[in-house]
Amino acid sequence: MTTVQLFITCLTDSFFPQTGGAVVDILGRLGIHVDFARGQTCCGQPQFNAGLRKDARAIAEHTIKVFEQTRGDIVTPSGSCAHMFRHNYPELFEGDTVWLPRAQTLAARTYEFTEYLVDKLGITDVDAKWNGLLTYHPSCHTLRGIHVDHQPRALLAKVKGATVVDLPHGEECCGFGGVMSVEHPELSAEWLKRKISNLEMTQSPTLVVTDAGCLMHIAGGLHRQGKKQKVLHIAEVLNRI
Amino acid sequence: MSSVSFRKRIQESINDPSLQTALDNNTERRLKGRAAAFESIPDWPERRRRAHAVRADVIGHLDDYLEKFTARNAENGIIVHRAKDAAEAIHIVLDICAGVRKPAPEVLIAKSKSMVSEEIELNHALEKQGVRVVETDLGEYIVQLRHERPSHIITPAAHLRKEQVAELFHEKLGIPYTTDIPTLTATARKVLREVFLTADIGLSGVNFGVAETGSICIVTNEGNGRMVTSLPPVHIALMGMERIVPGLDDLALMLSLLPRSATGQKLTVYTQLLRKPLAGQQRHIILLDNGRMRLRNSPLKESLYCIRCGACLNACPVFRELGGHAYIGSDLSIAPYPGPIGSVISPGLLGENYVDLAQASSLCGACKDACPVDIDLPKLLTRVRAGYSSQPAFGDGKGLSSPTRLGLQLYARIATHPKLYAASQKFAALTSSLLSPFSPWMRLPAFTGWGQSKDFPRFAGRTFREGWNKEDFSVHEAQVPPQNVKDLPVTPPPPSGMSNIEQFTNELTMLGGHVHPAKNVTRDVIEFLKARGIHRIHLEPNTLDEHALQETDIEFTHQPDDKLLVGVTNAACGLADTGSVLIVDGAEFPLQASLLPEIHIAVLKSTDILPSLPAAMHRVKEVDAAVFITGPSRTADIEMTLTIGVHGPKEIHVFVVDG
Repeated sequence: MTTVQLFITCLTDSFFPQTGGAVVDILGRLGIHVDFARGQTCCGQPQFNAGLRKDARAIAEHTIKVFEQTRGDIVTPSGSCAHMFRHNYPELFEGDTVWLPRAQTLAARTYEFTEYLVDKLGITDVDAKWNGLLTYHPSCHTLRGIHVDHQPRALLAKVKGATVVDLPHGEECCGFGGVMSVEHPELSAEWLKRKISNLEMTQSPTLVVTDAGCLMHIAGGLHRQGKKQKVLHIAEVLNRI
Repeated sequence: MSSVSFRKRIQESINDPSLQTALDNNTERRLKGRAAAFESIPDWPERRRRAHAVRADVIGHLDDYLEKFTARNAENGIIVHRAKDAAEAIHIVLDICAGVRKPAPEVLIAKSKSMVSEEIELNHALEKQGVRVVETDLGEYIVQLRHERPSHIITPAAHLRKEQVAELFHEKLGIPYTTDIPTLTATARKVLREVFLTADIGLSGVNFGVAETGSICIVTNEGNGRMVTSLPPVHIALMGMERIVPGLDDLALMLSLLPRSATGQKLTVYTQLLRKPLAGQQRHIILLDNGRMRLRNSPLKESLYCIRCGACLNACPVFRELGGHAYIGSDLSIAPYPGPIGSVISPGLLGENYVDLAQASSLCGACKDACPVDIDLPKLLTRVRAGYSSQPAFGDGKGLSSPTRLGLQLYARIATHPKLYAASQKFAALTSSLLSPFSPWMRLPAFTGWGQSKDFPRFAGRTFREGWNKEDFSVHEAQVPPQNVKDLPVTPPPPSGMSNIEQFTNELTMLGGHVHPAKNVTRDVIEFLKARGIHRIHLEPNTLDEHALQETDIEFTHQPDDKLLVGVTNAACGLADTGSVLIVDGAEFPLQASLLPEIHIAVLKSTDILPSLPAAMHRVKEVDAAVFITGPSRTADIEMTLTIGVHGPKEIHVFVVDG
């Protein structure tokens, strides 16, 4: 039986544990055994993006050590954390003969959740059912960071009963950007406003994402504006059977 | 939060409805135009990869290429100067001014667009010495009249609406108030024509320098770049020393990407290649370092691959809110280069003053995707944030507010200790449930940044790790057999099946040019001129049958004359995929004949129509100066509205003869 390691990510762990549960359920139904290394915390992306590389490096080393004690592919329900492993860890350890190979080994084992289903397992139909409209927001790091786009769309297309409508200007950033949403809140607010008005144009009550960062940002904006639309991680949609 | 003055400037931009409308227009039109232009080269990912490799090679071996480039120019009679910084470059320009036999207050410089001149604040320095400098690109002219910096590296007046230009021209040029863009453009044409004809020195930027031949390539749509490089007795080309390509083939590759990325054109209207001075002309090239060599040996090296197309600005959601004038340094000066590339090279070239700019990005990656030479801008932005630069280290986390910095550092300590981490999660969950007992969302105050426009989720009562229990989750069932999933096939557009002449005609017609199949070219041109009531023309020798012309009442001259309405030249070749004609310099001023009059007639042999630019490159290798002309002169500098006929001809007619 195939065993994979779940890298839950800090935001999903602390705010949206139900997303993690959905990932485990879906993989379980596909006969994949999911393991969870308890030493894992965060990938260090907030520190890396802010320019605090020493701090990012400490977290990255910790994460590498934790997963070195495990076996199998690493699956994570976040495009930006997969991007962190794949592109930013090698940047962080550039020229380091000890840590760079270890970082590369970690990166090679890592898959974003939809990427794992579609590219690794070759599955687009997970027998999910839905009633009504869905629209998909491609998170920046999923779309442009690790170039995962057709995978989540293919999975959504196979959800029975769902009508997937196009989100206008979907490829535009929602304004989360990690620390940017705090450091430059005015910019963040403008993009969020645009994202929400584009969502409203779709008439879809549900927005699907592949990253907890965008989820908490857009959902937080919808709640502030008193809107009814819900934002769901794709795993929670695919787990409706 | 980030630097107070920068944030204040951001707020001002966001709260300026006129600016926001102008920027939205810029973004939408540029993105659409770029996407459409790239459809005609389905192999663009491969070209982009090659272009990246070419730029990497050039920057990697810059000393060798510069040596070659300089040697070629010496052979070609062009004077090359090296300037290590802004002060040296300004000094060289002033020295050249002093060589003009006129006292300083009377020296007039006609200038076409040069971002390098903005970088070294050349205009200001020259004006202080009494030299009069007039910007001749329409957008640059507008911002110069307003005493502003350009707000975009391609469209300098992208921040303005036509009403503001109308007011400006009414006030400064004394014309009646009008928002009619063709009228505004025609006014600038008239005023600036005088400047071109009387200037002592023409000053331009450089898009590319070709090491193999020593040629410099300058692209402009309006024709001002051609005016300033060919009419005044002295031409100074100001060039960032990284703007080299090895050979003409590499240049052709870059030219397939630059205009598409910059303005959504297949080729810029005027693509000039200057290898030698024109007859009686003195040409100088100033190679500017100003931090480039230092940058080259730094982790920001890749930023030197930039070809200044501005595509990353148009794609950037930050630029879309800010425009170019909100990118300010800690001394409140406006950064010379805005947008994502600017947030890397402004601090990279000019130092710590501009280092905070790099924090204003969500690292969304739209800039990297838009970059025609695939510069990893998000990576470079994180490097600037980490304090990497060509300068002595800036220190990490530059531009971060203290609370954010301390918070992230504390979080890093906790995140390396899993038990402490889990305990902190419990603590956070408890605190947030006390703060928000009834709602899963908390309203944070605005000063937190987050609280300004969104609510914050309550921490989960039970984190994932707490709930982790193998029995809970691992439901083992029979494995679903894998299905075949294929990527959507990328279908290249069907081969057009069009002949070169058909394609040439289509392309030029779309640009507003005219193609006339000609059986007897002299007779056909005479008919055309008669129909227009034109009796005097500037004619390049060996173009039409001059005896036949003498039998009519049409006079012709071989000398350039600003008063003539029509110039007739040969075309050395045509390009089918862009509708371009190549005009090469010769004894009787064909370059001027194709530039000064309102109507340009080119005579082209059908067998000289080549499929595309690379096939034509060998024809320009040995010529002193040449220009690929792609349609009539045009601008979109006012509200992105396309206007035909700025400084160059308003009409281009290509008479195609069998041959």
